[in-house]
Amino acid sequence: MKSVKLSTPALLLLPAFIVLAAVIIVPLVFSLYSSFTPFRLTKPDSLWVFIGFRNYVAVLSNWEFWIAFGRTVLLLTIALNAEMFLGLGLAMLVEKATRGQRILRTMMMFPMMFSPVLVGFQFKFLFNDNVGFVNNALQSLGLTDRAIPWLIDVNLAMVSIIIAEIWSSTSVFAILILAGLMAMPKDPIEAANVDGCTPWQTFRYVIWPYITPFALIAMTIRSLDVARAYDIVKIMTDGGPAKRTELLWTLIGRTAYGDARMGMANAMAYVAILLSILFTVYFFRKLAAARQQIGAEW
Amino acid sequence: MKKLLCGVCAGVIALTLAQAGNAAELPGKFDGVTIDAKLIGGQQYEKLYERIGEWEKLTGAKVNILSKKNHFELDKEIKSDIATGSISWCVGSNHSSFAPQYPDIYTDLTPLVPAEELAAFVPNLIKASTLDGKLVMLPRAQFDVSALYYQKSLYQDEEKKTAFKAKYGYDLTPPDTWAQVTDQAEFFAAPPNFYGTQFAGKEEAINGRFYEMLVAEGGEYIDGEGKPSFNSEAGVRALDWFVKLYKDKVVPAGTTNYLWDDLGQGFASGSVALNLDWPGWATFFNDPKSSKIAGNVGVKVQPAGSSGKRTGWSGFHGFSVTESCANKEAAASLVWWLTNEDSQKLESAAGPLPSRTAVWEYNIEAAKGDAYKTEVLNAFQEASKNAFPVPPLAEWIEISNAVYPELQAAILGDKTSKEALDAAATKATEILEDAGKL
Repeated sequence: MKSVKLSTPALLLLPAFIVLAAVIIVPLVFSLYSSFTPFRLTKPDSLWVFIGFRNYVAVLSNWEFWIAFGRTVLLLTIALNAEMFLGLGLAMLVEKATRGQRILRTMMMFPMMFSPVLVGFQFKFLFNDNVGFVNNALQSLGLTDRAIPWLIDVNLAMVSIIIAEIWSSTSVFAILILAGLMAMPKDPIEAANVDGCTPWQTFRYVIWPYITPFALIAMTIRSLDVARAYDIVKIMTDGGPAKRTELLWTLIGRTAYGDARMGMANAMAYVAILLSILFTVYFFRKLAAARQQIGAEW
Repeated sequence: MKKLLCGVCAGVIALTLAQAGNAAELPGKFDGVTIDAKLIGGQQYEKLYERIGEWEKLTGAKVNILSKKNHFELDKEIKSDIATGSISWCVGSNHSSFAPQYPDIYTDLTPLVPAEELAAFVPNLIKASTLDGKLVMLPRAQFDVSALYYQKSLYQDEEKKTAFKAKYGYDLTPPDTWAQVTDQAEFFAAPPNFYGTQFAGKEEAINGRFYEMLVAEGGEYIDGEGKPSFNSEAGVRALDWFVKLYKDKVVPAGTTNYLWDDLGQGFASGSVALNLDWPGWATFFNDPKSSKIAGNVGVKVQPAGSSGKRTGWSGFHGFSVTESCANKEAAASLVWWLTNEDSQKLESAAGPLPSRTAVWEYNIEAAKGDAYKTEVLNAFQEASKNAFPVPPLAEWIEISNAVYPELQAAILGDKTSKEALDAAATKATEILEDAGKL
């Protein structure tokens, strides 16, 4: 019998393939399979009952799921845009600093160093209606005499979560955009000044096209992050009260572990991944266009 | 008198001999055996685990603690173990609210523990630990039922007494019914600086509070046929209690986001008049280092609902032995050791309630001379007489997760109590149907 002999390149690549298969492909295929079963963590035998698309039909016709989906898109849109504007402003200010720029850059990264769980606890305390800092400050300043239910009110609860998200991640944008600003050649700006451009024109037509790819990379990274938002929300409101701040992953997390319905949760997760894919494709297209505009090769 | 003394002496000797007799059987000898355990972790639980070393010395066995986590985390880990078929450990911490979720993994302890030892536990707790005829755990000295804590000074203020009597037509004394709690809470409330009362507002906590209020109003959570029946008139009355207090701003605005720690800290901050809470807080509330109301705390048996029945949602921690354990006798001996009289005396000295009758008596005796401790023990002993566990359903936590957002929706005014309870009952019914129970 002739033994199969692998070529040297294939042999060299084999360990990488095995590792990839073990840590990515196998869990993915397994979770995809389990989304077609009524798998409950407490009933291991249910993993072998195939129910076809029943979970998917249930997810797609579940109104609560779609509300959570819509709310996640809303959070993504508001948080990403706000982070982008604030990050851009911060990066431009830091870039202008002639002294102490390194210290400023390090300070700017502080929020990124906090674990999201800690950020969640910190903002949960800040926004606590009874002993929280925000309400106490507002009451002491005489701006209000009542306890504002930040984490309860139908609009304020989402606003509080968005503020926590923005605080923790604006620096991602700031750092990437700052890298863009620092890598940018200075001659086009000088040429624009000589040609008599206003500061706004210089920014809009010279600086912005250069830094757009950096901003879009930050957008892509953060869109994946926010679409998976869990830790901060879990700590601050856990999707409540009355599902007012329920996001995709708080819902999926509760279904998977609280309710032990892993099959259903996996089906939800696969539908939710669509959201991440959509945003990633959108930003990558934008990125390609932006790079073309500044003449870089894709 | 002499006769009486002799009787007592004889009793003591008999008791000592009986204990010595038991000690010969238990803990037993298990040289070379290693018991893997998954235990609940946390400051308040650690003291007991120091006694494991002593058990190891006596039996010659070894205990290998695989994980120490809070119950929610431990629950996830156990579920993952069940899912992957890796229940290779022997002893696990358990809880009455979680136990029905794992019907098959724990063994029946009845044949492994002497009957007279089982008889030494509070009978209700042994009953609540028995699922489908199997005694799945032995309760440790972490029995939980709530009693009513209140600020004493509010009831000594003559001005308040007069004003209250004029308004409500009866004397201002610590409340005995939930209707009185409502009156008094509304009377004391002065938001945003002072609140009449408060309640846990999410997850199993609010569902549990609603459950006990429902029982006190004469309703049933699950009827005789196993169907959810909490959307009854009694259910609406029970939920309306929470809704009214929230609407009238008698409770803190953030209460639907509060869990036990927030409530404990809130009452200790001195900004709440009445607080239905667990025994574990008793010391904390009366300690000047942690509480602004130390020295001003009163404790009373939990109030009664309109049916005359008192609230009494209870839960308790315990230890279980797995069905797959290779040495069940050794594991059961460890479980017995952790729940025996000495262990319970040690654990309950810090405040938690024991699950053995003799330890109750011992604690009350030991508290003599300490007025606060005696008041606490008496109140909780009375409270524990009214205790009842959650319905023994594997789906209890799942039903809680489906019901609590609806309770919150009613409390926040998004739905009426009836609408919310109907929606919740539909979801709970679906869960039970999916599980093949209906």
